[in-house]
Amino acid sequence: MAYNLVENATMAMKTLGANKLRSGLTMLGIVIGNASVIAMVAAGQAAQDYVTRQFESLGTNVLFITPGDAQRGPDAGVRRADTLTLADAEAVAAEVLAVGAVSPEKSQRLRVTRVAAETQANVLGTTPEYLTVRQVTMAQGRFLSPVDAQLSVAVLGSETAKTLFGERNPIDQSIRIDNVRFTVVGVVTSRGSSFGQNLDETVYIPIEVMVDRLTGQEVGKTSPTVQTIAVSAQSATSASAAHYQITNLLRLRHGLLTQEDDFTVQSQQDLLDTADSITSILVLVLGFTAGISLLVGGIGIMNIMLVSVTERTQEIGLRKAIGAKGSDISAQFTIEAIILAIIGGLIGTSLGLMSIVILTLATPLSAGVSVSAIAVSFTVSGSTGLIFGLLPARRAAQLDPIVALRS
Amino acid sequence: MALIDLQHISKTYGVGDLQVHALKDVSLTIAAGEYCAIMGTSGSGKSTAMNLIGCLDRPTQGHYRLDGIPVDTPTADALADIRNRKIGFVFQQFYLLPQLTAVDNVMLPMVYARVPQSKRRSQAIEALQKVGLGNRLENRPNQLSGGQQQRVAIARAIVNRPKLLLADEPTGALDSQTSQSILDIFASLHRDGMTLVMVTHDAAVGQQCDRIITFRDGQVLSDRPTATENTLEIA
Repeated sequence: MAYNLVENATMAMKTLGANKLRSGLTMLGIVIGNASVIAMVAAGQAAQDYVTRQFESLGTNVLFITPGDAQRGPDAGVRRADTLTLADAEAVAAEVLAVGAVSPEKSQRLRVTRVAAETQANVLGTTPEYLTVRQVTMAQGRFLSPVDAQLSVAVLGSETAKTLFGERNPIDQSIRIDNVRFTVVGVVTSRGSSFGQNLDETVYIPIEVMVDRLTGQEVGKTSPTVQTIAVSAQSATSASAAHYQITNLLRLRHGLLTQEDDFTVQSQQDLLDTADSITSILVLVLGFTAGISLLVGGIGIMNIMLVSVTERTQEIGLRKAIGAKGSDISAQFTIEAIILAIIGGLIGTSLGLMSIVILTLATPLSAGVSVSAIAVSFTVSGSTGLIFGLLPARRAAQLDPIVALRS
Repeated sequence: MALIDLQHISKTYGVGDLQVHALKDVSLTIAAGEYCAIMGTSGSGKSTAMNLIGCLDRPTQGHYRLDGIPVDTPTADALADIRNRKIGFVFQQFYLLPQLTAVDNVMLPMVYARVPQSKRRSQAIEALQKVGLGNRLENRPNQLSGGQQQRVAIARAIVNRPKLLLADEPTGALDSQTSQSILDIFASLHRDGMTLVMVTHDAAVGQQCDRIITFRDGQVLSDRPTATENTLEIA
């Protein structure tokens, strides 16, 4: 059998080589299919890795309390944004034993100026605990401290510092946020970006000062609202206890008896799981789309092979007349199809790998070459050749030599 | 013993009112070593007879023994095997594979005979030398003249050393001078002991055989040795 296989393969190569244009066109579908399977799966997995890394950078024992109920389903997008207050954050810090540090966060995009320099930055009102909870390190000076509570001091993100001060030392210099004067006390080290937001274009100020001087008190609120309360649990093991205790405390404080929670507590793991389930679907959809192009490529092979059988009817008749059995003919055509699929697969795989390199160079995604994707697409293209080569091969094998020769 | 032994062979195509009786109760024997022509007008049944003799088709009725083996019942694969080992075919249209060189074309029947690869080339070259094409081994069909292509086809037909060479209008696509060179090759094969059966409508070609079988309306109209003048000349 192996002896026959080599024989048939050699013959098939001669035949395919004799008609290079047609062989090339037949392969094209498989080339594109293979390249897209490999590139798409790699892109999907890279996106998944990227998202995972982003969440992991949040810290493992950090909980996020956000206003509104994220679990409520379709209308989760229109959740109320004003149910969490600074007083809630203070209560959590004071009363929940499993909690380490609490960092309330209130942010707004504002104009930040210094003499002639001007930039837009995310102005983040928070407390000194932010440093601990968010694991920020200082490049220069210090972060906010408890004594700053009522002072107009600001800590700059690395990029904002660069935009406003260039190479000069920004410490003790003053800047204006919405025309309110602030004194710079520190610069944090670069934090990169998170979910599309550049964290280095940030100005950190005391949350009380932000409410008093920039955003003002909200009507009907005794305590300013916050967008997020980031909480670090005492340890990774106390995260679920903290989760439970925070939920109880806030329900009590918000006077919720039978209603749903009007806030959401999520751990980094919760967020990771949610993101994972979304990105898995992304990978699946991308893979499926690419799979369709592979299928189309296979049908292309079948198409051309059917044409080829018709065109080569006389050849088939002659081969049968001189002693080829039906199985010889069908092996011949099947092997031609498989060879087309495999060569197409090889070319497609190299194209796919090239596009992965381009993807890695051109985007923040670091796409790894997935051996399994290559194996899968190779197996698929080989079997596509086999499956879609079978019908034409069967047709060829069944040709009556007399009819075939007279055609 | 007869190489070809047809007994009461009938071949019917179609069904019901559309039935065509291509051959009606034909009995015919051809001995090993004969050189014989099958003649007749189109529709006379000569092509059907040729297909049956060549094991390309099976009779509706009757019995056919080729070289002592009954071949009216075997499966398509068994027939393919018989064609491969016992019969060489030469066609009017040559039917060479354009993508293969002369020697590769000649090697084709040996592929299906499962002849070891090491022996194929030398046997193919030998067959090509026999038809005078030892110097055209690596040419493709489109680089050869019609007569040369037909000689490649003859080499292909004899390479498996068959008992029977079946030629279907072998000179039909060739001019008279080239035709004669092909017939000379047949004559020399005949002298070497090969059995040749040639279908032709050309009386001049038929005259070069030893025996002419003429078909009409699906039956043998006449079966006689050719005029003895040729033999006299040789004698």
